[in-house]
Amino acid sequence: MKTVDTRGLTCPAPLIRTRQGLTEAAPDETVQILIDNPASLSNVRRYLTDNRLEFTVREEGSLAIVTVERGGQADVSANETDYCVTNEPVQTGEKNTVVAITSERMGSGDDELGTKLMISFFRTLVMLEPAPSSVVFYNAGVKMALDDSPVLEHIRELAERGTGIYLCTTCINHFGIKERLPVGSFSDMYQILNLLKDADHIIRP
Amino acid sequence: MPFDLLTTVETGGCSSKIPPRQLEELLARLPLQVDPKILVDISTHDDAGVYKISDETALVLTTDFFPPLVSDGYEFGLIAATNSISDIYAMGGTPLLALNIMMFPSSAIPLEVYSEILRAATTRLHEAGVSIIGGHSIDDYPPKYGLAVIGVVHPDRIITNAGAREGDVLILTKPLGTGIILAGHRLKMTTQEQLEEAKRLMMRLNNDGARLMQKYGVRSATDVTGFGLAGHALKMARGSGVTIKLNMSAVPMADGTYSLAEQGCIPGAAFRNLDYTERETLFAEGLDYSLKMIAHDAQTSGGLLMAVAQAKAGELLSELQASGHPEAAVIGVVEAKGDAALVLR
Repeated sequence: MKTVDTRGLTCPAPLIRTRQGLTEAAPDETVQILIDNPASLSNVRRYLTDNRLEFTVREEGSLAIVTVERGGQADVSANETDYCVTNEPVQTGEKNTVVAITSERMGSGDDELGTKLMISFFRTLVMLEPAPSSVVFYNAGVKMALDDSPVLEHIRELAERGTGIYLCTTCINHFGIKERLPVGSFSDMYQILNLLKDADHIIRP
Repeated sequence: MPFDLLTTVETGGCSSKIPPRQLEELLARLPLQVDPKILVDISTHDDAGVYKISDETALVLTTDFFPPLVSDGYEFGLIAATNSISDIYAMGGTPLLALNIMMFPSSAIPLEVYSEILRAATTRLHEAGVSIIGGHSIDDYPPKYGLAVIGVVHPDRIITNAGAREGDVLILTKPLGTGIILAGHRLKMTTQEQLEEAKRLMMRLNNDGARLMQKYGVRSATDVTGFGLAGHALKMARGSGVTIKLNMSAVPMADGTYSLAEQGCIPGAAFRNLDYTERETLFAEGLDYSLKMIAHDAQTSGGLLMAVAQAKAGELLSELQASGHPEAAVIGVVEAKGDAALVLR
């Protein structure tokens, strides 16, 4: 049994010692915490409850003795059997792919080549299975969605198949092209950042 | 050797605020003055009181004081002064005048410390265009310092807890962590740099934040202080009749905050704030425990939490980041009122 004596210590030291004691104890070792003030007792109780640790409290005068039956990590650790139905095959979820179009060219080094590559990229993108969940356009990339863009029909096709088309509003305003974008929704940094953050894969030509 | 003010609060001093739930119950029993010129009072749980004196001008009143959080008298004065005018900024106002509120044990601490505290506060307030025109001191231990502040705001441009609208996003202008880091410092668990960063954050004025809020027509904001991010967000959600959803992984935190919380360095005030929020808060399944407690960590002189129309958020955020708030971030959204007023994930 491991004893953590927090008598005379002021908040948050009792909690720190408690946590330390729980991590240092062996996984099956009982941990006993001595606490001499009600505020710290209340905090430690709350901490143990929130971290799903079973405990009992015995009060002897002004001293409280908190006994935690299971030692080990004080963070939420569940038994495997709580979450994994182990006789079922492992399912792989659909991967969430987001394409980020950040300029009018693909790659750098030669602008003419880059322009051709970008057109080729979109032509190939529509053949991808499954289709990307979203395509986000920012900086000069928004110009790929202009009404006279060589890849507009590919973008339309993606949109029709359910791919989200998101155009950065700041960029649209910067280039003054608001009226010339027939496809896509006007988006902002917050939405674009969230799309990129939640993606499993990001393709950036 | 300069006097170390932290020696006067060695007995815990686990954040001096009365637990929020008890405070609210107590205040609810007070008779409210019925006066149409009182535009904002304690019934909307706001940052300051507002009183209309003409069609163009309303007065904003607030006060704040507390025992020392740092060792040096001058730094304590800077923090206390910055903190005391923060509530005026949170209402979209401009602070003008202040009164010192000082409790000082003149027989236990050198009077030099008293003058250092006042010198710092005067300097900081002058920078903000505020004049200290009086005050009051009494002998008391441990020492406490703060100010009563009066400012002005246009009656049609008051920023309250009540204006958040569905579809708004929430921007936080300063990182969290001052409560945890100060507690960690007392237990010698922080580095000097971590402490210095926390102090810099507490000494940073919210004036640019207020200016930008008025520029972009923000109608709802609060400053994040003693009730923690979650406590203040909840007050805003209740005041506006909406649900606020916060994404803890988007919330900026001062260096060291997370690892201190992981080690159990969670001040008691965080638990009291949790006590206050939990009945109306939904904590997402799998929300990291340390992040949950950081959300409830009582802050000193924290940043502004503002509800901004989504279309304006990007530009407002850039301007904030360019004007001394590099860590400012979008941390959540406002939705129509659901079962829980606050959702934390």
